[in-house]
Amino acid sequence: MGSVTAGFQSETPLHSAASAFLLDAFDRGWADPSKITGESRKAAILQNESKEIFSSHLGLRVDQVEFLADPEIGFHLGISGLLGPGSNLYYSAVDRSEVYAVAQSVVSQQLAVGIDGSSDYPTADPTDVLAWQSANGETGIITPKPDNFHGRVFVDATASGSLLELPENWSTSLWNSRTWQGPAGLGIFAVADRSIWRSPLPQTNNAISSSNYSPPLAMASAIALEAFHREYQERQFALTAMGAKIRDFLLTEISSVDVAGTLDSTLPHLLSFSFLYVDAQMLVRELDRRGFAIDSGSACNSSNMEPSHVLAAMGLLTHGNVRLTLQPQTTEEQVDQLLVAIKDVVLELRS
Amino acid sequence: MELDCLGQRCPIPIIKLAKALREVNEVVLLSDDPATEPDLLAWSRMTGNSFEVLATATYLVKRN
Repeated sequence: MGSVTAGFQSETPLHSAASAFLLDAFDRGWADPSKITGESRKAAILQNESKEIFSSHLGLRVDQVEFLADPEIGFHLGISGLLGPGSNLYYSAVDRSEVYAVAQSVVSQQLAVGIDGSSDYPTADPTDVLAWQSANGETGIITPKPDNFHGRVFVDATASGSLLELPENWSTSLWNSRTWQGPAGLGIFAVADRSIWRSPLPQTNNAISSSNYSPPLAMASAIALEAFHREYQERQFALTAMGAKIRDFLLTEISSVDVAGTLDSTLPHLLSFSFLYVDAQMLVRELDRRGFAIDSGSACNSSNMEPSHVLAAMGLLTHGNVRLTLQPQTTEEQVDQLLVAIKDVVLELRS
Repeated sequence: MELDCLGQRCPIPIIKLAKALREVNEVVLLSDDPATEPDLLAWSRMTGNSFEVLATATYLVKRN
């Protein structure tokens, strides 16, 4: 009997709808959309079509949609661009390392988080900035909306994609094309009010993006977003049922498991849990051998051998950690087989 | 009882700690792995045991 192969990692192959379109997109969209020749006109049309798709799915005006060739630079643009003289930056202990990097170079204060992912926001001046993630990429925990923060808000939507709405008081926001099975190397960035934002990059005008992004990739990403969002909505009930089943199985079939958040407090397709007394590296390797690809936030699986700062900040067990991403294409059968394999391997490693 | 886990990586110190606490009620754990302190917090919450930090990389762990 051949082994079943199922991917539960956050990275996925490009969505089939996007890859089917890519060749055509490169055919139509190779020219510089800002020039006036015929080919450039085609590229400009492509660019506008993709902006309209992003605008309707991400809750933006078409003229707010900007593309970044490097999604990571969006953290710097989104946060530093809002900081004025005298601004304080508030950020959460569970923010991404890119936010930590920005915070290190400015006046900043780290906010503690509870085991449910919530923080108390300080009384802020209007020019203070909060780095706020709509959902945490490692644990799937949805962050309560920052309604009572009265400064400027940078939204890290790189985990939630189009699945959660922007908060009312957003100032800048960043998405990553990978979140919806789009191509890598594309960030979507938006500024709500241009009058309070200044580019932190050295440039002569105050353009939002100075990076040369690829219009065909933007269009392919828009198509992936449309398809992913539709499939996710269609499968939402099934994904939630699978999430519930996994949580239930872990707590009843395997002892000493630390599961992040509850079904109600997380995005249903993202799950993080840690097995006490289990070496995550061996767990990942054993599951891989059985045909299941999973992620882990444990130290032995990170490049710097440090435990996940997210798990540590939330007070969750950092060793023996497993992170699952259910995709709209994930089947219940795959989940069942994975759970049997996990139980098997955990019991074996604990013995 | 003193349990020297210096230089050992997670989850080995926590595994050895749990084994030791089957025999005795208190263990002084020496561990310099960066995951040990956060994991002692989570482990205490999950198992009902408790610990205090005595010095750098030194913990007094008590069985409940």
